[in-house]
Amino acid sequence: MPRFLLTLWRNFKEYIVLILLVSVSFYTLSINQKPGVKKVKSVAFASFAVITSVVSDAINITKIKNENERLRRVNAELMLHVNELREYGIQNIQLKKLLGLKDTLHYPLIAAQIISKSFSNVQGTITLNVGSRNGVKPGMPVINDEGLIGLVYNTSDDFSIVRILRNFDLKLTVKDERSRIDGILKWNGKNLVIVNVPKTYDVEVGDRIITSDLSTIIPVPLPVGDVIGINKSSTGIFNEVTVKPFVDFIRVENVFVLGIVKSDEKNNLELNFFKREN
Amino acid sequence: MKIKSEYIASFLLFFPLLIIQITIVPLIAINGVVPDLLIILLVFYTLRLGQLEGTIIGFSYGLFYDLITGGLLGSSMLSKAITGFVVGYFFNENKKDIYLKSYVFPLVVLLGSTVDSFILSFFTTIELNTNMLGLFVQQGLLPGIYTAILSIIVIIFYPRRRLS
Repeated sequence: MPRFLLTLWRNFKEYIVLILLVSVSFYTLSINQKPGVKKVKSVAFASFAVITSVVSDAINITKIKNENERLRRVNAELMLHVNELREYGIQNIQLKKLLGLKDTLHYPLIAAQIISKSFSNVQGTITLNVGSRNGVKPGMPVINDEGLIGLVYNTSDDFSIVRILRNFDLKLTVKDERSRIDGILKWNGKNLVIVNVPKTYDVEVGDRIITSDLSTIIPVPLPVGDVIGINKSSTGIFNEVTVKPFVDFIRVENVFVLGIVKSDEKNNLELNFFKREN
Repeated sequence: MKIKSEYIASFLLFFPLLIIQITIVPLIAINGVVPDLLIILLVFYTLRLGQLEGTIIGFSYGLFYDLITGGLLGSSMLSKAITGFVVGYFFNENKKDIYLKSYVFPLVVLLGSTVDSFILSFFTTIELNTNMLGLFVQQGLLPGIYTAILSIIVIIFYPRRRLS
């Protein structure tokens, strides 16, 4: 028996090792969401991020960086104000005041710099030089003066990993600003698309897409992109809407983390409502 | 002892290349297509050390890459292990230096990078109406071509074998 195994190993060791490693890979894929694995990943990227931040700093030109940061902060604050005003203009400011709704114009902005980018066609992530010590928490949106970049996925003390819009795992509730139609935005490996949009819904090329107030992940309206195409299916009842993001993910360097997190109260309320219904 | 030192060198070179991959390489992206320096390193050492070693090195590279970049743990492990295995078919003890100094090297890099990119995109984009040919070209072949072009640097700087 041992001789047989030895012969088997000699003749097929490459295949045996490959099968073993592929099995380990599949198993690892299945345990990605476990807290222990997330902890290991955050320690690993935090340790390495120290080194990549040094290299990034050397690449950046400091003087221009400071001036750009100041201008981008101004632009980001103006972008948020303009977007809020658009929403109020549509929804009627006077009616909201009469109903006593809260004014939510001011949000804390945490300035950050991108120290590394990991782009593949399915998993786009960036690493920022701010972490839990700066007040960053998982779930916070990341923006610049052009629009939404992504969501914070994981944090360590001084660094954060962000899933950008070009990431298969990031799905958002968005809205067509003109027709007020909601949909789910996701990355399909090639484009940002809003899926399962009924053919009867009013969506046109050129429409501006923003995050929806139905979303518990991002409860404030943030610009996402423009509709550049509508894929009309000859069969079925849904279309697929292609969206071009406002943000240039290749060139973006300085960003802001929006200091808001998803509403647990709203989540729990909706969950309890569905539980009662059932 | 020589093989052991090559093993160590393969890991020592991995980390600086990874830093370059995640800080500088995104700046030279063309239409969202980025080259993969880690594949060039993997192919280099697979052609020098063999198929078994290449599979293990690829698995290790993928593990560290997933841990450090925060991506889906296991995705790069799988794609790079398979890439190391596939590239290992080109290993030839007697022709190592010839392959690393000729047009064969970029062609093997093209194959390896295409396999890596395609696997990485394939099993995470499971949609029934996916155009497979388009997926292969857009997400497999284009990054492969870009990486292969960059791998020509290895041929230029690889030392000629000294005849004893």
